[in-house]
Amino acid sequence: MRIVIIGNGVAGMEAALAVREREPSWEISLISEESDHFFSRTALMWVFSGQMSHRDIEPLERDAYTRLGFRRVRARATCIDTAKRLVSLAGGLDPVPYDRLLIASGSRPRSGPWPGSDARGVGHFVTLQDLAWYEDEVHGGSSRAGGPPRPDAHLPVSASDSPYRFREVAAERRGRLARQPAIIGGGLIGIEAVEVAVTAGLRPRFFIREEWFWPIALDPRESQWIADRMSHHGVDVHLEHEVEMLEADSDGNVTAVRTNEGRYEADCVVIAIGVMPNTSWLAGSAIELDERGGGVVVDESLKTSAADVFAAGDCASVRWFDGTRRPEQLWYTARDQGRVAGRRLLGDSPRYERGAWYNSAKLMDIEYTTAGLVNWNLDGEKSWFFEERGTVRSTTRVVVQQDRVVGFNMLGRRWDHSVLIRWIEEQRSLDWVLAHLNDAAFDTELVPPLRISGA
Amino acid sequence: MQRSTPSSFRRYAFREHEVDQQGQNGLLTTYREGWRNRSILGLTISLLLVTFYVVLYWEHKVQEQFGVAPLTAFSESVGLRNRWYLYGFLYSVAMIAGAIYYLRRHGNSRYNRYRITVNVAIQIALGFTLPFVMPLFGGKELYFSYFWPLKYDYLYPQTLADVPLYFALYTVVGSLLAAPVLAVLYGKRWYCSWVCGCGGLANTFGDPWRHLTSKSTKSWRFEQLSIHLVLLIAIGTTFLIGLDWLIGSEHPTFHRIVSGNDWKDWSIKSFYGFAVGSILAGVIGTGLYPIFGPRVWCRNFCPMAAVLGWIQKVGRYRIKVKPGMCISCGNCSTYCEMGIDVRSYAQADQSFTRASCVGCGMCAHMCPRGVLKLENSWDRPEDKERQRLSVVDF
Ligand SMILES: Cc1cc2nc3c(=O)[nH]c(=O)nc-3n(C[C@H](O)[C@H](O)[C@H](O)COP(=O)(O)OP(=O)(O)OC[C@H]3O[C@@H](n4cnc5c(N)ncnc54)[C@H](O)[C@@H]3O)c2cc1C
Ligand code: SF4
Ligand code: SF4
Repeated sequence: MRIVIIGNGVAGMEAALAVREREPSWEISLISEESDHFFSRTALMWVFSGQMSHRDIEPLERDAYTRLGFRRVRARATCIDTAKRLVSLAGGLDPVPYDRLLIASGSRPRSGPWPGSDARGVGHFVTLQDLAWYEDEVHGGSSRAGGPPRPDAHLPVSASDSPYRFREVAAERRGRLARQPAIIGGGLIGIEAVEVAVTAGLRPRFFIREEWFWPIALDPRESQWIADRMSHHGVDVHLEHEVEMLEADSDGNVTAVRTNEGRYEADCVVIAIGVMPNTSWLAGSAIELDERGGGVVVDESLKTSAADVFAAGDCASVRWFDGTRRPEQLWYTARDQGRVAGRRLLGDSPRYERGAWYNSAKLMDIEYTTAGLVNWNLDGEKSWFFEERGTVRSTTRVVVQQDRVVGFNMLGRRWDHSVLIRWIEEQRSLDWVLAHLNDAAFDTELVPPLRISGA
Repeated sequence: MQRSTPSSFRRYAFREHEVDQQGQNGLLTTYREGWRNRSILGLTISLLLVTFYVVLYWEHKVQEQFGVAPLTAFSESVGLRNRWYLYGFLYSVAMIAGAIYYLRRHGNSRYNRYRITVNVAIQIALGFTLPFVMPLFGGKELYFSYFWPLKYDYLYPQTLADVPLYFALYTVVGSLLAAPVLAVLYGKRWYCSWVCGCGGLANTFGDPWRHLTSKSTKSWRFEQLSIHLVLLIAIGTTFLIGLDWLIGSEHPTFHRIVSGNDWKDWSIKSFYGFAVGSILAGVIGTGLYPIFGPRVWCRNFCPMAAVLGWIQKVGRYRIKVKPGMCISCGNCSTYCEMGIDVRSYAQADQSFTRASCVGCGMCAHMCPRGVLKLENSWDRPEDKERQRLSVVDF
């Protein structure tokens, strides 16, 4: 049996491991344009700052391919011939035949819709190549641990619209490193790009269209705290700014961001206005894509419209618990989908079922945990909010609908989301939850427990 | 083009601790600092440390060769009785300096703060001041912070006979009863990360290099072999020396082979002191911090760590993993000074206890998603065995 997997991200690699676990002799090929090794995309920011090396963010030892008998194909896939069962590759490489195929091609950053978005010195923070570009602009190179493995000879044929292409570096042209970076887009990737710039000793500008930072997850009180921390660390947070264009000098290097509020100088711009399924390369293949969003349409067991072709991870449009169909752009879900897809490649018929929503993040130095339905604007929902300002500073928000708790939004402390989710499933009341809240605490030892005054 | 200097010192990492948060505050710039990454400067520091230890342990050789005993001469000129006091003093200074370095980065967490403070205080009180003061009052210099088998000669019958009775009792009860019992209750960390001088130096002075400890499977295999080998030798040596104490006077050859004191005899006792006490614990264990990370000795050779590690496996201590939340970023593994691939457990949702874990708490501290928690608990269903296939064990 020939298994071919496009993408060696978490979805692709988990699937490959699941297949190998049961079938020691099947032929497994992993095609990747971006990197030789599976790495943790969530960890790009730490490589930038120097907290980790490229090697450190790879969850497998570097001999994994040999040890597990995976065939590495470092190339760009350009098309899938579902009739002949072939994946064609760029650069005149031989097409790869498959019996069963998994598409796990992840996300690509949304490009800036404004004039000047393609100026030199403008980029993203999503791929290894983006990381290399941003490091070059700000630090003049990677840390002492070295850069990512550079592509083999056949990769320069990478298409000009590929998210994995190497970008030109404005700092090199200018002969001077970036001093005034600007980050556009107030989401998680945006704040990471901001934080790494702060660590490099700069005062980045952070342009956010909304009224407050990250409104899909935070309410104004929570967001205010984060914004205060950002300002405290020297970030110029610009809320309610609509970017209108990016200006460049005669040489093509970016010089400023122009918004509805004015003109702001910038010599390096990171556009972080979201990601979308990385599926444009599938345009000519007979595989159904979502009209809205462009994700690969899959059924409950992650099968696409083509026979023996499956999709998992950021590129797949799956059905959410509320019935809508869209991709889930999360590490955990990509991993779970990869495991399900692996069983599908083995011939089982597992179902991918999305459990309760949970997530965590770190916003500057404040940890964030959420579980259940928060910021969904449910009918008759009420929020219970508590701000702790003692030895520990934290906020706790519990969302209640019809006398039962449906969601949690927590900043500053650590919580075991699996306990919170269990309480939601058990339809607990607010009083019960508040009385038991510390059972879900996951703080490190010696941290005083949360005391809710007046409760 | 000029490289920018990381400015962690300027604004971000040296942070006010007005908020007691548990996680790492701000980003570290570890790999952008050459001396922490085997640059020429880093290697030079290592060379200086090795040289220092060689002179310290074999000063008589240096004297034979060059006619000077630099450390002794210096110690006496500053009024210290001998070079070991100088060593104790420098050791304490290195720990204090390292503790400041460490706490400025990670001191926002109470666990880190308390642990390092206690450890430094014990070194100053029991590792330096008390042994310094006791001879002033006509006593022996005794180290209350070390136990057998780390302090390998503390259970030698001759030692027990020579020290005051209360100290002999302290050592026997401490080594054979208290240390193991505490390890059952709290894991080996009560000793390795709160009390021990070797661990204390590693966690303070050695902290800048903690990311250098190898996480490879190969290094794990080596560690399992080497640490148990040393333990075996330690037990064997103690046993033979005990036997020698009983029957040595009737068997002069046996006595010479086991406990001959002349350095040139290469007796088992002096060999152990040389190979384990000086080379492994001193020259390699500390001298190579800037190359192999700060726990070379503790991880690969310390017989006390081997014993406590076994006990830890059956005791209450474990690292609890919050299910499904790990993003496989690798911060935990990178900053584990014992070279444990914490991530491999975390991403498999597997709470775990590894024999080598010294409970420094840094994995939990560094984790940006709050996945890990150190705890002491008997309530630990099914987690001794790894649940699902994990990438390291494949
Ligand atoms: C900066 C950043 C921070 C993040 N932080 C978090 C976080 O904290 N928590 C969280 O849950 N999620 C986070 N995410 C999202 C998370 O990383 C993704 O959801 C996850 O990596 C998706 O995995 P995947 O396997 O689907 O795709 P990817 O990891 O994107 O892998 C895509 C693979 O497909 C290959 N590929 C694509 N197209 C082609 C082609 N045409 N030919 C050949 N190969 C191709 C690439 O080489 C790559 O190997 C973050 C993302 C970013 C960018
Ligand atoms: S596993 Fe964690 S607590 Fe144990 S030694 Fe490693 S970093 Fe320290
Ligand atoms: S446990 Fe935490 S630090 Fe370790 S890999 Fe997972 S998310 Fe990263």
